[in-house]
Amino acid sequence: MTTDTLSPRTTPTPPTPPSSRPSTSPWRDGVRRTRALSGANVRLMRRNRLTTLYAFVVPLTPLVLIAFADGSTAAAAAGAGSVLLLALVFPVYYTVLSMLVTRRDELVLKRLRTGEVRDREVVASLALPGTVVAAVVMAVAVAIGLPTGLPFPTNLPLYVVTVLAGAGMFTAFALWTASFTRTAENAQITSMPVILLASAGTLAPSLPDRAAEVLSWTPMAALDTLQRVAWFGLDTDGGSVGFAGSWAEAGQPLVVLAVWSVLAVDLARRTMRWEPRS
Amino acid sequence: MTDVMETSCDGVLLQPLRPGDAGAMSTTTLPHTPSPLGSDTGAAVRLNELRRTYGTGADAYEAVRGLDLEVERGSVLALLGVNGAGKTSTLEVVEGLAPATSGSVEVLGLDPVEDRAAVRRRTGVLLQHSGFAADLTVTETVELWAGLVTDARPVEEALAEVDLGGRADVAVRDLSGGEQRRLDLACSLLGRPELVMLDEPTTGLDPESRRRVWALLQRLRDAGTTILLTTHYLEEAEVLADRIAIMAAGRVVREGTPDELAASLPATISFTTPRGPDGPVVVPPLGAGRRTDRDRTVVETDDLQVTLTSLLTWAAHEGIRLEALDARQATLESVFLDVARVAADAGETHPSTYPASQPEDLR
Ligand SMILES: Nc1ncnc2c1ncn2[C@@H]1O[C@H](COP(=O)(O)OP(=O)(O)OP(=O)(O)O)[C@@H](O)[C@H]1O
Ligand SMILES: [Mg+2]
Repeated sequence: MTTDTLSPRTTPTPPTPPSSRPSTSPWRDGVRRTRALSGANVRLMRRNRLTTLYAFVVPLTPLVLIAFADGSTAAAAAGAGSVLLLALVFPVYYTVLSMLVTRRDELVLKRLRTGEVRDREVVASLALPGTVVAAVVMAVAVAIGLPTGLPFPTNLPLYVVTVLAGAGMFTAFALWTASFTRTAENAQITSMPVILLASAGTLAPSLPDRAAEVLSWTPMAALDTLQRVAWFGLDTDGGSVGFAGSWAEAGQPLVVLAVWSVLAVDLARRTMRWEPRS
Repeated sequence: MTDVMETSCDGVLLQPLRPGDAGAMSTTTLPHTPSPLGSDTGAAVRLNELRRTYGTGADAYEAVRGLDLEVERGSVLALLGVNGAGKTSTLEVVEGLAPATSGSVEVLGLDPVEDRAAVRRRTGVLLQHSGFAADLTVTETVELWAGLVTDARPVEEALAEVDLGGRADVAVRDLSGGEQRRLDLACSLLGRPELVMLDEPTTGLDPESRRRVWALLQRLRDAGTTILLTTHYLEEAEVLADRIAIMAAGRVVREGTPDELAASLPATISFTTPRGPDGPVVVPPLGAGRRTDRDRTVVETDDLQVTLTSLLTWAAHEGIRLEALDARQATLESVFLDVARVAADAGETHPSTYPASQPEDLR
């Protein structure tokens, strides 16, 4: 079967001498490589039943909370917190974690690092598909809410920043979690601390003052506060603010988010492993 | 192997020490200023006093211990050595995957870490263990790699070259080990590299596929590609390599063309020890080493022709018939085993005591 493909032999093209290698812009090359890798990652996500479920199906479920909020801002704001939580935890955090561990186990990461692709591009390509899913889900949430009488986001830039910064932070948490996750199955256990920390944050608005105060310093509480003020113009006391006022309300949670992000990135940088432990 | 005829065979080639290099211990002594593109001339790979240590403190293990090596442009160099000699550890530094602990590394006139982007565009790497996403097909895998290199070759062409054209739509998880290896090789060669570094490219391949890979590598070499490879198949080194370097305990301890290496050990003549009326006949000294091995007499010599002539002249004169007469040059295998034996004798405890140069008493 193979013999006909063998002859005639292709003569290998001579190596390209350095002088005639096309000069390209490093930035464009980086984008091209990230796109190629992200595409392959999307393909791989769709070929694995569990990642498909977590990355594309689970984040859609809490959208019913928006649909059934019936135009009530309070109910919708609580629902939107869950939408954001699931959109960041599953398509971003858990997917990045399980793909990273799988690819590391398969020695794909080590193999990739022998080539032209940069480490940051490898990480970006793992995070991009989930980040796009999260952004789309958050956009769909708004689209579902509009006909029921929910407002268009008071501060759209802040709304976008919330989703993207959240995705960045959870990606860093995933890289860190991967450092103590041996196999993809193991991720179900090792991911628990971060998932619990994230879930606890969304409880803040429904808890007594003292507990809420403590929880407000968790990353997900900050993200929840941000989506409330960015979408619904709600401040932490339940009052409403406009575009200008929303920036002021966003100060504390943005700082909290920044601190957690710096911490997560630092942890990730220090613990990142590209090949299985020997 | 024909071109070695022109090379002088006197003496044993060791590490290519350049004048003034003796005793140079640090990287900073090299007066090299890399140009952004690297140079088109000079050695493709130049390693000087290379060291690589794994771990730190009490767990530290030095896998590469002051290694010198040069690979000429357009040539094939095979790196041999027993398991754990440090071949992979060395290659990973050349590939830019790991920094050298000390010593200097020059790849195409550039620093593989500092000048990463420029070097990577011009090199192709095959790791000892392949790394693939099991759920992608063969074509998808090569297409992915095509998106990761600058100026990739056509995917079909790359697959045809490693005889995988007929397996294009098969998932990587369903490929045989040898097919995966060839797929990996196709990815390594996708960017038309000037220098390829192949860590055991044919391990796990059947003899037929191995020969096809050899043919492919020979064609690459003929087209001007520099190849640095490791292998445990001595025949592979003999067939492909212009030069062979044998490593032991983190250093290159023998280096030369296949013929030079073979000439570094004495040739042997052996025959069934003839019996006269008074018992075994003792062969005269003949100016060469002599010993008996059970019922055979073994003569070791640095000059096979002269010794053999004297032996045959003596036998004719004495009217003795030499049964099962055998005369042979040392083989690469005997050189390899000699290195392995000396390294093992030097022991794990004092690996650094391995003689860095050929013992003089062979002369
Ligand atoms: N990550 C590591 N940590 C500690 N020691 C290591 C590590 N990798 C390799 N070594 C050690 O370094 C030495 C050289 O290993 P290396 O893989 O370079 O050998 P090799 O010549 O490629 O062997 P083989 O022929 O088996 O592939 C070995 O003793 C090995 O145990
Ligand atoms: Mg090895």
